[in-house]
Amino acid sequence: MTRVLRTIAAVGRKEFRQIGRDRRTLLILLVVPVFTLLLFGYALNFDIRHVRLAVDDRDRSAASRSLIAAFVNSGYFDLVASVDAADATRRIDRDEVRAVLVIPSGLSRALQTRRAAAVQVLLNGDNANTATMVMGYAVTIVRSESARYAGPAQPPLISIEPRLWYNPELRSALFLVPGLIAYIAMITAVVSTALSVVREKERGTMEQVRMAPLDAASFIVGKTIPYFAISLASALGIVLVSMLLFGMPMRGSWPTLITVLSLFLLGALGLGLLVSSIADTQQVAFQVAVLVSFLPTIMLSGFVFPIASMPRVLQLITYGVPARYFLVALRGILLKGVGLATIRLELAALGIFAAVVLLLASVRLQRQWV
Amino acid sequence: MSAITVTNLTKRFGGFVAVDGVTFDVDRGEIFGFLGSNGAGKSTTIRMLCGLLEPTSGVAIVDGIDVGRDPEGVKQRIGYMSQKFSLYEALTVDENIRFFGGVYGLDRARLDARRRFVLDMAGLAGRERTRTADLAGGWRQRLALGCAILHEPRIVFLDEPTGGVDALSRREFWKLIDRLSGDGVTVLVTTHYLDEAEHCNRLAIIHAGKLAALGTTSELKARFADRTIVEVQTGNPIEAMRQLDATADVEKTSVFGTAVHAVLRHGAGDRASALAARLESAGLHVEGVAAVQPSLEDVFLDVVQHAG
Amino acid sequence: MRRVRFLIWKELIELGQDPRLLAIVVVAPIVQLLALGYAATTDVRNVPMVIVDADRSAASRDLIARFSASPNFSLVDTVSSPDDIDPYLERGRAWMAVAIPPAFGARLLRAEPQALQIVADGSDASSTNVALGYATNLLAGYAEEMAGRAGGAGRAGAIELRVRVWFNPRLESRDFMLPGILALLLLVVTTNLSSAGIVREREVGTLEQLNVTPLRRWELIAGKLLPYAFVGMIDVCLVVAVAVFWFHVPLRGSFVLLFVLSMDYLLTTLGLGLFVSTISSTQQQAMMTSIFFFLLPMMFLSGFIFPIENMPAAIQAFTYLLPLRYYLVILRSIFLKGVGLETIWPQAAALTLWGVAILSLAVVRSRKRSA
Repeated sequence: MTRVLRTIAAVGRKEFRQIGRDRRTLLILLVVPVFTLLLFGYALNFDIRHVRLAVDDRDRSAASRSLIAAFVNSGYFDLVASVDAADATRRIDRDEVRAVLVIPSGLSRALQTRRAAAVQVLLNGDNANTATMVMGYAVTIVRSESARYAGPAQPPLISIEPRLWYNPELRSALFLVPGLIAYIAMITAVVSTALSVVREKERGTMEQVRMAPLDAASFIVGKTIPYFAISLASALGIVLVSMLLFGMPMRGSWPTLITVLSLFLLGALGLGLLVSSIADTQQVAFQVAVLVSFLPTIMLSGFVFPIASMPRVLQLITYGVPARYFLVALRGILLKGVGLATIRLELAALGIFAAVVLLLASVRLQRQWV
Repeated sequence: MSAITVTNLTKRFGGFVAVDGVTFDVDRGEIFGFLGSNGAGKSTTIRMLCGLLEPTSGVAIVDGIDVGRDPEGVKQRIGYMSQKFSLYEALTVDENIRFFGGVYGLDRARLDARRRFVLDMAGLAGRERTRTADLAGGWRQRLALGCAILHEPRIVFLDEPTGGVDALSRREFWKLIDRLSGDGVTVLVTTHYLDEAEHCNRLAIIHAGKLAALGTTSELKARFADRTIVEVQTGNPIEAMRQLDATADVEKTSVFGTAVHAVLRHGAGDRASALAARLESAGLHVEGVAAVQPSLEDVFLDVVQHAG
Repeated sequence: MRRVRFLIWKELIELGQDPRLLAIVVVAPIVQLLALGYAATTDVRNVPMVIVDADRSAASRDLIARFSASPNFSLVDTVSSPDDIDPYLERGRAWMAVAIPPAFGARLLRAEPQALQIVADGSDASSTNVALGYATNLLAGYAEEMAGRAGGAGRAGAIELRVRVWFNPRLESRDFMLPGILALLLLVVTTNLSSAGIVREREVGTLEQLNVTPLRRWELIAGKLLPYAFVGMIDVCLVVAVAVFWFHVPLRGSFVLLFVLSMDYLLTTLGLGLFVSTISSTQQQAMMTSIFFFLLPMMFLSGFIFPIENMPAAIQAFTYLLPLRYYLVILRSIFLKGVGLETIWPQAAALTLWGVAILSLAVVRSRKRSA
């Protein structure tokens, strides 16, 4: 047993040293996550503000001015220009404005005679996300403005009191951070592992190592331990930095967090090994590794697009994406403070994934080893 | 006019001097050897002569062109083969030939003729469709040489061309070099195999970036004109060496296979036989003691010792 | 010129010899397209929710039925007390809970104002916003209907809002994202592969062999980059075909213009690949650098997913340096807006400028003779 451990340690040490000497890769593994985190925290979010609005006011009455003011005062819109119909087209084409409010000339009169009047909002729909939200804002603003003319101020029959749990300010940053961790961990763990094994395959150093009284398992374990350690450190680093800089809450327990992280990373490493058993050249290894880690983690894990809205077929596929379970578990621990028992389903899924890929990888690599 | 004239060529990498003021000439049609251990500066020198590396100072004139100033000027007229046998593994033998032929601007007729020549020379006729990756070391080596001379260069640079190749192939390869030289091609070859070095017309021994010795093999061996080399056959070479080192007459010793070579100081030649007695009295069984002609190995060790 | 043909021929043979790489380069874009095409929706459908029915009246059952019937919601369970919603939200089995208070039906009959509580899981911010919007809309509509039934003037509908959405009336996310993914794919394939390919030749030693030949620097570079440009062009056609014929993303502008400007874009991606090869000593470095140093920031900052106008001013200024930003605008303009060069010439010019700049920088750094 000690001999096995010693060989693992030897291989691991060599790998660590190799990583240490490749300053560029080290930089990428450690610095890029932090950089991306800062990006997410300070620059990127889904909240829409400062929507550039142009107004085509054909009524020019107190009522129309009041409506325009309502838009501006909402805090979401920036009044950029007054336009006419032809101008509006050009401005939207050129992306100079995102929305045009068109107020017909009979607005004021209609309101005075208690008839319905319709205003129009032209939206630039090329970014559907943005357009949906802008539309929502517009609807709300018009509705509340409209209520002022609805006769004696009456409380609505049914009012809504929204309460947000876990993330009361709906800060995108908090939502994105768990996704970011998954993403970074996946990419670095999968890609680095795949590349490191394939590189040895390419260079033929695998042959040399095989000559030594070293079995495949010890070799593989020794090779992946450094990447496991680095990815884990990276992930924890991201959590800590988010807590410090962005006030991200950590409502769960650290041991739970580390358990979930480790399980997820184990699966990622296994995936990297599986990829390395398929590819013969570094270029192929890299492309495949990125394909199986990047794509599912971003698109199919619920990180950006909600799974519930996807077509059935795709939803079924997402059951095989570990990031999906990881995100739920991570968000649970960070934002909801849940314990291991609550996320047992997710833990089981992560465990099964890790076991399956590791098994497949070891079978394939063992065969290639002999 | 010499094929290659090198004057005070120096290459510095930061604080490290890889090539230090090297000066030599190579005549046309000569096989000129660069001998030295790894890291001595042989490859660096060759790469400067080929226009692959910029010299720090000094002048290198190849086929009349100052390659320091005009590295591109000679490229159509020189051939180069590196230690890595730089061929495209994914391509077949034929494809590699066509590729390099095309790159050197050979027209169809000439390419066809040279192609047949190279296939013949390398012994690869009939194996044109083989993927280069599937060739064994010796074949690949000859193919690499072939691709380097497709355009009939007047000067050929070979950097450790026989690395990792079996002895038989090495010998075949040197026959090819002889043929080239016979056709008037100047060959500058680096090697660390001493038996190959014997094959060269003239030899330059490079050590720690400096040119430590230069001349034909006989000129180099003349270093030992007034020193005798004695070969001692014994069952215990290590102990023998210790004993000999302690002897006043012996300048230095080295192990040669199972025997020991002892270089005697000037004028001590006649006392060679005394050595045998001396060893026997020390309790060693001596199988034979005889004066031998100096080999290149002796020369090399001697040069290195005196330079360092 | 003739000699470059040999270089390209050699490159294509090598590419053909590695069927796995070829498969990746052709299959991966299609797989990604399909996945993104089907996954990318902003519509939030089937939002899992629970309803607390503390009233159990005909009215509350009616309201529950409406939620059930709506395609936006998927009713997971009905519980009787607000305390019961914790486990659902904690485990993520429901994103939202609507609490119908006791005496809901009775108050409704008396036309007495009352408040309903909606609890939403804020940890998935973007979807929550949208889901809340749906719930609010549904309840508001319900309220208006009840108000109408209760008789009385209530509100004479004062201002109605009509929304017209240009370019993407169905508000299909995918129409917005798929053109974007073309840009990303080209970046990945051409930059990554070209940089790694050049470094590999350096590692194997054939680059040195080429440097010793009379080939000029520009010939070597062209011979290395043109094959990848070729691959890139194939990818353009592939992606456009899938997007248009499979997903019915509208292509309202000129395909020729799209093709030409894509070649413009390839200038930058290939130049970037060449540049990366001059700063990397191993293939791994080349690939990691092109993806993590260049692709990643470009992906996040160029407007592909996150709108640029939301970013702080300093970062917005920085985005002018990203060629991807201009190409995205060009793609979306041609696909969705159907405009021509007269509108997007600033972007085309910026892209060309960028391409020439980075290619020149890279060429300067790729010397045949090492210092």
